[in-house]
Amino acid sequence: MKTPSAAPPSSPENQGSRGLRDPRKPKLAAPKSSGAADAGSRNEPFDRVIGFFSSLRLTVVLLGLGMVLIFAGTLAQVNLGLYKAQNEFFRSFLIYWGPKGASWKLPVFPGGYLVGTLLLINLVTAHYQRFTFSRKKAGIWLTHVGIILLIVGQLLTDMLSRESSMHLREGEAKNYSEAQQEAELVLIDVTDRDTDKVVAIPQSLLKPGKEIAHRELPFKIRVKEFYPNAHVTNRKADAAGPIPATQGIGPRAEVRELPRVTEMDKRDVPASVVEIVTPAGSLGTWLASEFIEAPQTFAVNNHTYEVSLRPRRFYVPYSLQLLKFQHDLYAGTDTPKNFSSRVVLDRPDTREHREVLIYMNTPLRYAGKTYYQASYDEDDHGTILQVVRNPGWLTPYLSCVLVAAGLIVQFMSHLLGFAAKRRVD
Amino acid sequence: MNSVRFFRGNALRWLACAALLPLASMLTGCGRDDIQVYRIAKDSAQPAQTAALPAGWETAPSGEMRVASFKVKGAAGKMAEVSVIPLAAAPAHDLDNVNRWRGQVSMPPLTEADLAKTAQPVQVAGETGQLYEQAGPNSGSGDQERILVAILHHDDRDWFFKISGDDEVVRSQKDAFLSYLRSFSLPSGNSESGSFTRADAPFAHPPINNAASKVPSTPAPGSDGSKPDWTVPANWKETAPGEFLVAKFLIAGAGQAQAAVNVGASSGNGGGLLMNVNRWRGQLGLSPASQAELGKLATAIDMPTGKANLVELAGTDAKTGQEARMIAVMVPQPAQTWSYKLMGTPALVEANKDAFLKFVQGVKYR
Repeated sequence: MKTPSAAPPSSPENQGSRGLRDPRKPKLAAPKSSGAADAGSRNEPFDRVIGFFSSLRLTVVLLGLGMVLIFAGTLAQVNLGLYKAQNEFFRSFLIYWGPKGASWKLPVFPGGYLVGTLLLINLVTAHYQRFTFSRKKAGIWLTHVGIILLIVGQLLTDMLSRESSMHLREGEAKNYSEAQQEAELVLIDVTDRDTDKVVAIPQSLLKPGKEIAHRELPFKIRVKEFYPNAHVTNRKADAAGPIPATQGIGPRAEVRELPRVTEMDKRDVPASVVEIVTPAGSLGTWLASEFIEAPQTFAVNNHTYEVSLRPRRFYVPYSLQLLKFQHDLYAGTDTPKNFSSRVVLDRPDTREHREVLIYMNTPLRYAGKTYYQASYDEDDHGTILQVVRNPGWLTPYLSCVLVAAGLIVQFMSHLLGFAAKRRVD
Repeated sequence: MNSVRFFRGNALRWLACAALLPLASMLTGCGRDDIQVYRIAKDSAQPAQTAALPAGWETAPSGEMRVASFKVKGAAGKMAEVSVIPLAAAPAHDLDNVNRWRGQVSMPPLTEADLAKTAQPVQVAGETGQLYEQAGPNSGSGDQERILVAILHHDDRDWFFKISGDDEVVRSQKDAFLSYLRSFSLPSGNSESGSFTRADAPFAHPPINNAASKVPSTPAPGSDGSKPDWTVPANWKETAPGEFLVAKFLIAGAGQAQAAVNVGASSGNGGGLLMNVNRWRGQLGLSPASQAELGKLATAIDMPTGKANLVELAGTDAKTGQEARMIAVMVPQPAQTWSYKLMGTPALVEANKDAFLKFVQGVKYR
C-alpha cells in the first residue's frame, strides 16, 4: 500500500532514497510518467508490464471493483443464498451472466479471485518498484508485509480450509464429519465381512452425460441426471411420466426437482440418476438421493456394491463419542445460558482416550481440526459440532501484529524525528 | 548489502512465484475434486453397529428393508436369523403381523383383545417396546421353530427386531437377543434440530433428516385400497406385502418347499420388459439378457384386456442359494404396468403354474 503522501517514484527525492539499488542492474522503475525516459531500455516491454501492475491507478481501480463486487455480492445473497453468492461472486475469476433459460453466459465482471490476485500482484510489484529497505522505511515495510500476508493467508484459507459438521446423539460415536453443502456419490464394495471399500465421487464430477471410470471399479458410471436439489418420494400408482431409474427403487420412486435453497438454515438435497456400465453391458440405472434410506445393491464379478448419494464425508483416525449434551438456562427463564457437549476422544493408534468438554467459545482443537459447539437436537439429546480445518488460521493474527507494529514504528519514527527537530529549532 | 542484492537478483522469480502459486492452487483446486478411495470398518453410522453384538452372531448381508441382519449357528447345522427392520409407522397392523408370525409356526390367530395380553414389555434402546413370542411346528416344514419379535413404535417409525429359526437355537439366544435390544441405539434421523441464534451458531444443522419424508415412509402403490379384484387360490396365504408391493402370497409345499407370489404396480411401462427381466434374472443369479435375447425369453399370453408378457426362468435364488424357478407376467394397463411373480422351489412353482396364470388372467382392474 502506497501512502498518498509518498513522492512519485521518479521524483528526485525518491530517486535519492534508492541508495541500495544495484547500479549494474537495468533500471526497472516504469511508472507511466517515467516511461519515456526509459524508452531506450532493452527491458522496455517488461518495464511496461511492471509499470502497469505497480501503478497506483490499478490499485484504485481494483479497490473500486472490490467495493462494487462486495456490494453486488451482498445483494445477490438475497436471491442466491450465501453459499451460491460466495461461489459466484467471490470464489471465481469472472462473474458470468446470461438471459434466463439460455445455455450461454458471458463474463461481465471480475470475480473475487481475479481482483484479489491482481491486488496482490499490484502490491508486491509496487513494493518491489518503489520501496527499498532502509531504517526510515522499516515501518512501511512491516505494514506491507503484514498486508501481503493477510491477502495470501486468506487465499490459502479459502483454498485449504474446510468446514463440516458432526451430528452425534448421546452414546453415538463417529469417526467422520460431513459437508453440509456438498454431496458425494459412493460406490461401496460391501463384499468383505469386516470392511467396506468406498469409492467416493464428489458432487462436482456428477455432470449429466459424463462417464466416470476408476481403476478400483470394474465398471463405469454414466451420469444420466443430476438434480442439485430434489425431493424423492414413493411413486403413486397412477403417476404419469417415465420412471426415474430402472433398478433399485427407481421404478417405484418419483423425483421432483426443487429450486435451490437460499436460506442459511436449510440446504439442497441433490439427487442423481446413474447408469452402471460393465464391459458386458449396462446393468441399468439407479436413482441415488439422501431421501432413499434402503441400501441399493448390485453385483459385478461376484462383488456386491451399494450405491448411494450422501453428504461428503471426511474421515479421521479417531472417534468422538457424545456422552452428554447439556443445555443450561438462566433460572426461571427460557434464555440459554450455556450449551456443552461432553465427548470421549478415542484414538486407537496412539491409545489416546480422554474426555473433553466442548462448550461455547471453548472448542476442542485436535489434529489440525477445531470442533465448535454449533447446534443441538430439539430433544436436547444430540449435539452438532462444527468441524473446521484451517491450516492458515494464524495468518490473520500475524498480519494484524505486523501491520500494527509497522504503523507504530512508522509513526513513532516520524514523531521522534519531528520532536528532535523541534528541540533543535 | 549482499542480501539486498540477492533479493534484487531474485526478485522476478519471487514475484512470479507469488503470482503463480495462488493461481496454480486455484486451478488445481487443491485436490478437492478428486475421487477418493478408502477402506473402512463396516459403517459405524448404521444403527445395528452401535449395539453390542452378542457372541456367536455373524453379520449377514442386509436386504432392501433391513438395516441389520445376523445369523446364529447352533448345533447340528441348526440356525437362527436376526433382522432389524424399520418401517413407516402403522401400529394398527401389529395384530396382522403377530398373526402372520403365529401362522408360520402353526399357532391360531389372536384377537385384538388377546394381543395386549400376549405382549410382554421389553427394553429397546432405552424405550419400552412389546415382545411377542411364538413357537410351534413350521407350517411348511414341520420343524419345531420359534419366533421372537420386539416391536418398538418410535416417532414415525415401527422398528421390528426379530429372531427366528430353530426352536433350541432361538431359546438359547433369547437373553443375548434381549441384551442386544437394550444396547441398540436408534439412529438420530428422526430428530429435527434446533439451532442457536445466528450470532451464536454460524452453522445451523439443516433440518433435512426428517425420516417422515423419506421414501419408505410413504404408502406403497396399492396399499391405499387400490387393489384390483381377484380370486386367490385356496392354498395361497396372503401376507403383509413388502414396501413396494401391492400384495404378497405365500405358498407352502411339502417338506421345505415354498414359493411366493409378489404383485407390484408401476406407472407407465414400469421400466420396460428388458429392465424387469434382467432384474428377475439377477434375483436368480443369471447374467443380464440383451434386447435381442428378450424375444426368446418372453412369450405373449392372452389377457381379457389384451396381451401380456410371460417369462419363465430357472436358476439359484440369490438370497438363499437354493435352486429356484420363476414365472413372471407383466400386464400393461392404460396408466400403469402390473407385475406378477411366482418364485420358489421348482417343483412347487410348477405345481402352481396353472393356478398362478389363472389368477393373473382373472384379475379385474379398476
